[in-house]
Amino acid sequence: MSRNITYAEALGAALRQAMQEDPSVILLGEDIVGGQGLSGSGHLGGAFGVTKGLGGTFGLARVIDTPISESAFTGMALGASMTGLRPVVEIMFNDFVTVCFDPIVNQIAKTRFLSGAKIKTPLVIRTTMGAGDSSGAMHSQSLAHLCASIPGLKVVMPSTPDDAASMLLAAIQSDDPVIFFEHKGLYGVGGNIPNVIKPSPLNKAKVLRGGSDMTIVASGRMVGLAEQAAGAVESDGISCEVIDLRSIAPLDSETIALSVEKTGHLIIVDEGAARFGVASEIAAQVQRRAFGALRSPVQMIASSDTPVPYAPNAEAAYLPSEEKIIHSIKTVRD
Amino acid sequence: MDSEKIKIGLETMLLLRAFDDRVGEARDDGLVPGLPHLSTGHEAVAACLADILTPGLDKVTGSHRSHALALALGVPAKALMAEIMGREDGTGCGMGGTQHIYSTGTTFLASNGIVGAQVPIAAGAALSAKTLGSGGIAVAVLGDGAINQGSVLETMNLAAVLRLPILFMVENNGVAQASATTKMTAGIGAVARARALSIPAESVDGCDYVALHALAAKMIAYIRLQNSPALIETSVSRMGGHYHGDKQTYGASGSMRDPITNIMGHLKSALPDEAEDLYAAYRKSASDRIEEAYQFALSSSKANAGTLNEISRKANL
Repeated sequence: MSRNITYAEALGAALRQAMQEDPSVILLGEDIVGGQGLSGSGHLGGAFGVTKGLGGTFGLARVIDTPISESAFTGMALGASMTGLRPVVEIMFNDFVTVCFDPIVNQIAKTRFLSGAKIKTPLVIRTTMGAGDSSGAMHSQSLAHLCASIPGLKVVMPSTPDDAASMLLAAIQSDDPVIFFEHKGLYGVGGNIPNVIKPSPLNKAKVLRGGSDMTIVASGRMVGLAEQAAGAVESDGISCEVIDLRSIAPLDSETIALSVEKTGHLIIVDEGAARFGVASEIAAQVQRRAFGALRSPVQMIASSDTPVPYAPNAEAAYLPSEEKIIHSIKTVRD
Repeated sequence: MDSEKIKIGLETMLLLRAFDDRVGEARDDGLVPGLPHLSTGHEAVAACLADILTPGLDKVTGSHRSHALALALGVPAKALMAEIMGREDGTGCGMGGTQHIYSTGTTFLASNGIVGAQVPIAAGAALSAKTLGSGGIAVAVLGDGAINQGSVLETMNLAAVLRLPILFMVENNGVAQASATTKMTAGIGAVARARALSIPAESVDGCDYVALHALAAKMIAYIRLQNSPALIETSVSRMGGHYHGDKQTYGASGSMRDPITNIMGHLKSALPDEAEDLYAAYRKSASDRIEEAYQFALSSSKANAGTLNEISRKANL
């Protein structure tokens, strides 16, 4: 049995199921119950409504509204994870990870290692990412690559409601810290998820569309653009294989390399920075694994090396697009 | 305080002193790879907490200067010494070292290389105790330098609004690394800052085990009863500099009152005929125990590439 719900609702469903199954799962974040102390408050469920209703079901001891103190409550989540809880932290926008980068980089990422792997730190940081809605330079970045560069962090980026639910459940059940990137532009996208969510692997990419001429790898909201571009060039007789990365760290370079060995060409689409980014890392890993198979230079389509601009036309120019992907596809073909 | 309690305090403090004295010697002998920040002069705080807290139930985090705290709160001397010496039998198999001591199953949870970062982690232990209804509390031991860190001030507010059972234990040794605390801290310090957040706060002489014990016991009882935070600011002496071997060319550092001299004063008042003999016996026993730990660490394998691979694999890196 399945249900057709949005990406945001799928995340909420996974949280609800995880909290029902395990009383040690708690949620922490700003306004995640729904604001406190104001008339009519208590029903917001976070800035994007993902946790709506969970405070009412599970109570304010398990769904905890915090002050705007990311550094304190993210560090607190680590301490809680070391002492018997499974906290799921919501950082409202991934741009705010910078104000809790000590807890993330020095504390959360390192505790298991520094304890000689004797301490487990089962915690999830859910955060939103991505541009496209004129939220500006401090509410629109794609910072997964920053987190992915830190040993000790798992970084995932589901692109569909089904993956959002099954990967969030897996992240909560994992004994490792997971940073969970949710693109704001995907929250309203619908899809089928099973009534009983099953956890799915956090380290596997998925081939969404088979093809023989070239491989396109994308993640998050970029997956949809890649699929559209692949569909658009089909009538030109170009057959693209599209891979949804799903996990940024660890990176499933095996799945990508296998595809490249078949197609000989690779296009990477990533909403993060072009320099020192996810696309660069994929290119490096694929040339190590499948150098002999590559018949053209790896194409990387990423956002501009600038802060995210505010004005819609400038923001559109900043972002990867279907047109830019098609342009790369044709460059590769020619 | 009755004489039995004073005896326990002295015995613990002598053990902690012997431990860090031995770490200093090992460092001088080239057997401690990193720079150890010794707890010499801070022992009364660790000894009081060890006497008052409930083992295993309560959880304590500490700063980079936490050897004494870890030892007092149940971390085995052998594993602690081995970690400081970078050996495989250390608490972190040699991957953490002097500033990064982690423990499971004891009252000590973790120390930290980032000033103040241990404070939100202790709040997490308090949140677990509260959510799981264990009846435990958490203690964050921090230095005077840490009270100017944003995460510490944030955590004090967070603990107050969430009503977390946590004690903020500020060890004020007057120097934040190489700068005078008074020069770097506006207002009148940690107690006033806590009170501004409606967190009960008191200060006490941290070189006086008896006075500190009385205040800590009162505050900890309050935290357990009220399920809400409190703060103690305690003045201690940083007797060995910022780190072992620190030449202190910056001109530290005020009074060098020794908490062990102080508690001996209490013991002599309580048991004038026995005090010196007890001191000698405790010192001997401490020295023997620490030497045993040192020899254990010395015989433990130096952590190496194989250890790094093994721990990386176990930690799912």
